[in-house]
Amino acid sequence: MMRAPWRSGFRGVLAGVLLVAFAATVVATPSGPPIRIGGTLALTGPLAPTALLHKIAGEIYVEELNKTNGLLGRPVEWVLLDDQSKPDVTRSLYEKLITVDKVDLLMGPYATSGILAAMGVAQRYGKVFVHHSFGMPHLAKYEMHFPTAAFGPEPNVTLPTTVYNAVAATANPPKTVAIVTSKFPSAQFQSAGARDVAEKRGLKVVLYLEYEFGNRDWGALAARVKDAKPDFLWIGSLGLDSNQLMEAMKKLDYTPPRHFHLFPAPGPLALSPEGKLALSSTVFEEHPPFTSNTGAARLIPLFHERATKANLPYPYVDTQVAGSLAAWQVLDAAVTATKSLDDKVLGQWLRTNRVDTIIGKLHFDGPNNYGEDLFKVKQVHDGKWVVVWPREFAPPGARLLPP
Amino acid sequence: MPSLTLLGQAVVSGLLAGGIYGLLALGLSLSWGLLRLVNLAHFALALLGAYLTYQLGTSLHAPAWLAVLAIVPAFFVLGMGFHAVFAYFRVTEFASLLVTFGVAVIIESVIQWFWTADYRRYETAYATASLRVGPLFVPTLELLACLTAAVLALATWAWLRFSYVGKALRASAEDPAMAAAFGVNHRRQAFLLSGVSAAYAGIAGAFIALISTLAPAQIWAWLGVVFAVVIIGGLANPIGALLAGLLIGVSESLTMAVVTPAWAPLVSFSVLIVILIARPDRV
Amino acid sequence: MSTPGRRAAVGLLVAALGFAALAVVGLPAFYESFLYMIFSWIALATSWSFLSGYAGYFSFGHGAFFGAGMYTTATLTTVLGLPFLATLPIAGALAAALGAGIGAVVFRVKRLRGELFGLLTLAVGFVLATIVLNTRIDGGPGVYLSSVPLPRLLASPTGTLYLLGLALAVATVGAAYAISHSRLGLGLYAIHDDEDVAEGKGVPTFAYKLLAFALSAGVAGVAGGIHAMYVSYVTVGETFSITVPLYVVLMSVLGGARHWLGPAVGATLIASSLYAFTGGQQALVGRAVVALALIVVILLLPDGVVPTMLARWRRWRPRRLDMAPVLAVPPALAAPPAALACEEVWRAFGGIQALRGVSLRVEPGEIVGLVGPNGSGKTTLINVVSGYYTADRGRVTLGPDTLSARPAHEIAALGIARTYQIPRPFAHFSALEDVALAATFGPARPTPRQARAEAYGWLEFTGLARRATALPHELNLHERKFLELARALAGRPRVILLDEVLSGLNPGEIASAIRLIQQIRAQGVAVLFVEHLMRAVLELCDRVVVLNEGEVIAAGSPRDAMRAERVVEVYLGKARVVA
Repeated sequence: MMRAPWRSGFRGVLAGVLLVAFAATVVATPSGPPIRIGGTLALTGPLAPTALLHKIAGEIYVEELNKTNGLLGRPVEWVLLDDQSKPDVTRSLYEKLITVDKVDLLMGPYATSGILAAMGVAQRYGKVFVHHSFGMPHLAKYEMHFPTAAFGPEPNVTLPTTVYNAVAATANPPKTVAIVTSKFPSAQFQSAGARDVAEKRGLKVVLYLEYEFGNRDWGALAARVKDAKPDFLWIGSLGLDSNQLMEAMKKLDYTPPRHFHLFPAPGPLALSPEGKLALSSTVFEEHPPFTSNTGAARLIPLFHERATKANLPYPYVDTQVAGSLAAWQVLDAAVTATKSLDDKVLGQWLRTNRVDTIIGKLHFDGPNNYGEDLFKVKQVHDGKWVVVWPREFAPPGARLLPP
Repeated sequence: MPSLTLLGQAVVSGLLAGGIYGLLALGLSLSWGLLRLVNLAHFALALLGAYLTYQLGTSLHAPAWLAVLAIVPAFFVLGMGFHAVFAYFRVTEFASLLVTFGVAVIIESVIQWFWTADYRRYETAYATASLRVGPLFVPTLELLACLTAAVLALATWAWLRFSYVGKALRASAEDPAMAAAFGVNHRRQAFLLSGVSAAYAGIAGAFIALISTLAPAQIWAWLGVVFAVVIIGGLANPIGALLAGLLIGVSESLTMAVVTPAWAPLVSFSVLIVILIARPDRV
Repeated sequence: MSTPGRRAAVGLLVAALGFAALAVVGLPAFYESFLYMIFSWIALATSWSFLSGYAGYFSFGHGAFFGAGMYTTATLTTVLGLPFLATLPIAGALAAALGAGIGAVVFRVKRLRGELFGLLTLAVGFVLATIVLNTRIDGGPGVYLSSVPLPRLLASPTGTLYLLGLALAVATVGAAYAISHSRLGLGLYAIHDDEDVAEGKGVPTFAYKLLAFALSAGVAGVAGGIHAMYVSYVTVGETFSITVPLYVVLMSVLGGARHWLGPAVGATLIASSLYAFTGGQQALVGRAVVALALIVVILLLPDGVVPTMLARWRRWRPRRLDMAPVLAVPPALAAPPAALACEEVWRAFGGIQALRGVSLRVEPGEIVGLVGPNGSGKTTLINVVSGYYTADRGRVTLGPDTLSARPAHEIAALGIARTYQIPRPFAHFSALEDVALAATFGPARPTPRQARAEAYGWLEFTGLARRATALPHELNLHERKFLELARALAGRPRVILLDEVLSGLNPGEIASAIRLIQQIRAQGVAVLFVEHLMRAVLELCDRVVVLNEGEVIAAGSPRDAMRAERVVEVYLGKARVVA
C-alpha cells in the first residue's frame, strides 16, 4: 500500500521484460494506474486498540490483491487516513477522500459513530459504502451501504435469541438472568434487547444495570451481581470491561455460573483465568467449518504473521478481523464481477447477488440492506475460543460445556 | 432494598477506588499548589509508569516491587528535568497547562509507538487475591494501593509541615518575594518537589498496571475525576487529596450499589457542586 | 469609530465576504468542511474568552454549553420536527439560560474564583452529561439526524454548514472586538485584575460576569446546534468528552486569551494541526510533532501568539500617546455636593465586633480625620461605607440616598470613591487606562475619548502625566499612591475616602499630597481622611473622629479630640511620639 506510482510503472516494465525473456511463462502482475480505495480508521484515540486489527486486515488483503492480479489488472492503493476516533473528523476526511483525493472506491471506518458520519458523506456523493463494524442496523438507511458486520436487521432480537437457545439446550438451563451493560450505544442497544427477549421467554431478569462507557469502579458492580445470584450473566461489555468485571467478582470470591460477553477484547478474556468457559458471539473462529470459507486458508497465516510482527498479544482471526476481511472481499467481488468502478453498477450488483466471504455467504437484500444474522455462540475452551452453537458450526467433539 | 452486605461491600470498593484517585491526585496537588504548575502530563507519566511495570514484568519477569524501585528514581530525575525546562522558560500557571498537555500527547504517542494501541493486561498470580473480613471481601492489591496512598499522604504532610524544605516551599508558594528575602532558595526545593511529584506518578502507575487495563488513550480517562479530587482536597494538601478521593470513591460506589451505575457521576459531582456553593471556604 | 476599530471591522468584513465568495464559487467539499471545523472552533474559543479570557474566570464548562446546544437541536429536530434553522436560536438561548443560571448562583459566592470556578464548571459538564445519558433526551443509543432536512443555502449541503459556521465565527469575533472595546470589556478586564477594586470603581461586576457568561454560553450553544447537524449522529460520549473544554482553553491561551483576535488565531492553528498529519503512516508521529510545536510556541511566546506579536510590532513602531493639552484641573463634582452620614453602624466578623454603633458625619467641603490605633475599625468603616462589607445594623447615607444594602458599584456611581492603604492598581492597565476606567464607570458616564482626556487631566493633577503609559509594576510606591488618588478623583466623587494615602511617603511627597487634598476639598468634596500621621491630621482636618475597638471615643476639633482623656489613655505615649 501507499506505493509510489513510479514503482508500479517500474513493475510494469519489469513484467514486460520478463514476458519477453520467458515467453512461455506469464507472470500475473497488475499494471496501469492504481485503483485507489479510500477510508479512515481510528489510528489514534480511544478506538485505536480495535482499529489496529482492521488496519492489519486491510493491509494484508491489499497486499494479497497486488501479489496476484490487483483489481481489473490494475494495482490497488489503500488511501488510509487517521480519523483520531472523532466522528466529525471522520466526516471531513471522507469528504477529502471523495472531493480532493478523488478515490475510486470507499472502505468504511471503525465503529458505529464514525460509520454513520461517513455514510452521510457517501450518500451525498452516491458512493458505494462497504463497512465492517456497524452495530445499529436500524439506523443505516442508505441504499448503497453494505455491512459485513453480519448482525442481521434486528440483532437486538436475533442475537439474544441465539444465546438463550444455546444455554437452554444444556442439561441445566438457566432460569434467572442478570444483565450488566455499557452505555456505549451499540452495546446498550443489544443488551436492552437481551432483557426484552429474556422476559418474553419467561426468564426472570433479576438485575439490569447500565454503566458508563469508561467506568472505573468495578467493585460495586461486582457486588451487585453477586448479590443478585443469577444463573446466567449477560455482560454488554466493550474491550476489557469483561476482564475487569470478572476480576472484580473473583475478588469477591464469586464467579457467575454462566457468563456471556458482548464485544470483549477476545485475547485478554480467553487468556485470563477468569475467562474460563466464558461465552461470546462470533462470525468466525479459526477452526472447521469456518476454515474452509472463501479466503480463510490464504488469509489466516498472513494475519498471524503480520499480527505477531506488530506485537499484538492475540494474533488470531476472529469476528473483527474476519468482518474486515469480508468487507474487502465484498468490494473485490463486486468490482471483479462487474468489471466496473461505477458506483451505480457496483451497488446494483451487490444488492442482487450473494458474495462468498470468509464469514460465509453475505447478501444485502433484506431490510436496510442486511442479510440474516450470522452470529454464533462461542466459548473459551482451554484458553481458546471455540464455536459451540449452533451445533453444526462446532468443531468435531466440541459442545457447550455446562458449569 | 440492598442488603447490608452489598452496602458494606460497596463502601469497601468505593474506599479502595478512592485510594487510587487519592494516589493520582497527590503529586498533581503538590505541583499545582506549591509550584503553580497545572500538570496534565501527570496522568501520562502515571500511564507510562504502568506500561514500564507491565514491560518489566512480562519480558524480564521482574516483580512489580522491583519495577517500582527502578521507576521511582528514574521518574524523580525526569521530574527534575521537567522542572529545569519550566524554570528556564519561567512558565506561568496557564502556559503550564499547554506545555504539559503537549508533553502528555507526546508521551501518549511514545506509548503507542512502543506498545501499540492494543489493550495490554498485566496478568499476575495475585491479581484477584483478596482478604476476607466477615461477610466482606477486601481485594489485596487495591488495599495495598490505598494504604500506599495513605502512607505517602501522611509522609508528605509531615514533610511539608515539619521539615525545613517543606516550610520553605509553603512560604515560597504563599509569597515568593518574602521567602526569598529570608534567604529561602526556592529553586532547589522546587526541583526536589517536581521530582517527588513525578515519582508519585510512577508509583500510582505501578498500581494501575496491576489493577487496571492499559491502552494509550487511558491517559485522558482519569482527568475529570482526579482534578475534582485535587481541588476538593485543597491544593498542596496531601491529606485533603486522599480524603477527597475517598469521598468521591464512596459516593460513586454507593450510587452504583443503591441506584444504578450510570448515575454515579451525577451524585459525586453534585456533592461537589453543593460543597463548593454552600461552603466555599471549607474547600 | 476609532481608526484601529474601523480597520478591524473592515478586515473582518473582507474576510467574511472572501470566505463567503469562496463558497459560492464552489470549493471541494473537503475544504468547506475543513474550514467549517475551523470556524466552529473559532466561535467556541472566542466565545470562551468572553468570560474566561477577559474576566479571568477560567471555565471548563464550555463543553456543557456546546453539548446543551447539540442536544437541543438534535431533540427539537427529531422529536418535534422543528426546522433545523429554527432550532439554532433556541439552542443558543437555552445554553445562554443555562450559563446565566449557573452564574446567578455561582457569582454570588465571592470565593468561587480561580480554580474553584473551573472545577465547578467542569462538574456541571459531568452532571449534564449524566442527566442526558440517563433520561429520554438520549438514554444511551444516541440521536440520529439523518432524516432532518438541511436547508440549501448553497449548492451543496456542506456549503450550508460552511456558511453557518462562517456567519457564527464572524459574528463571534465581531462581538469579541465590540466587547473588548466597550464598557463591558473594560469592566471585564478590570474584574480579571482585581474584582473588588473594579466593583468599588463602579463596575457592576455581577451583572457583567453574568452577561459575559450568558453570551459565551449562548454562542457555544449555537455552535453545538450547527455541529449536531454536521456530525448527524449525536452521542453523549462524543459530545461531552473532555475535547471541547480542553481545546478551547488551549486555543485561547495559545492565541492570547485577553485579546479579541487571540482565540481565533489559536483556534485556527490548533484546528488545522488536527488535519496536518492524518495520513495512515504518519498519524502517530504527526501527533507528537504537533504537540512539540505547541510546547515550543508557548515556551517562546508565553503571553500567546497575538499579544506577543503585537508587542513586537509596537516596539518596532512605538505608539505615541497623543493627548490634547488639558485644562488646569477637571471639575471634580458630577452631582450636587452632599454630606456623608453614618448612623449607629455595627459590623461583626465571626465573634469579633469590628464596629459598635459608629456614627459620624462629613459635610461637603469638609475634611474629617478618622484616627485610632491599629485594629480600631477605621478600614472596616471605609469598607462598609464603600459597600465592600454590608453593615449588620445601622445606616449610611449620602445626602438623601441610603447607601447601606446597595452593591458597591452603585455606591461608587452615587459619588463615593476610596483609595486603598496598599495601592491596588489593575495589573494589566497602564496608569492612564486605570484612571480612565474609574472615569468611565463614574457618575458622569463619559465617552471613551472623554474618559481618556479626563484621566489624563487627573494624571497631570497628581503629577503622573509623564508616567501615563507605565504599567503598575513599573511605578514606585509614591507613584502608585498618587495613582490611587487620581483614579479616586476620576470617579467624580462627592465623598472621597482616603485610607492612609501618606504612609510610606517622604516629606516632600507628603507636602505635595497635602496640597492636592486641599485642592480637592476646595471643590466641595467631602473628605474622610484615615491617617496615622498626626502632623498631617492636625494640619488638614477640620474635625477628627477617634475610633477605638469599633467605638467612637472622641470627636471634635483636632486639638480637642486628641486631648480627650480616653484618647490619651488609648494612645498612651504613642500619639505624642508620632505627633
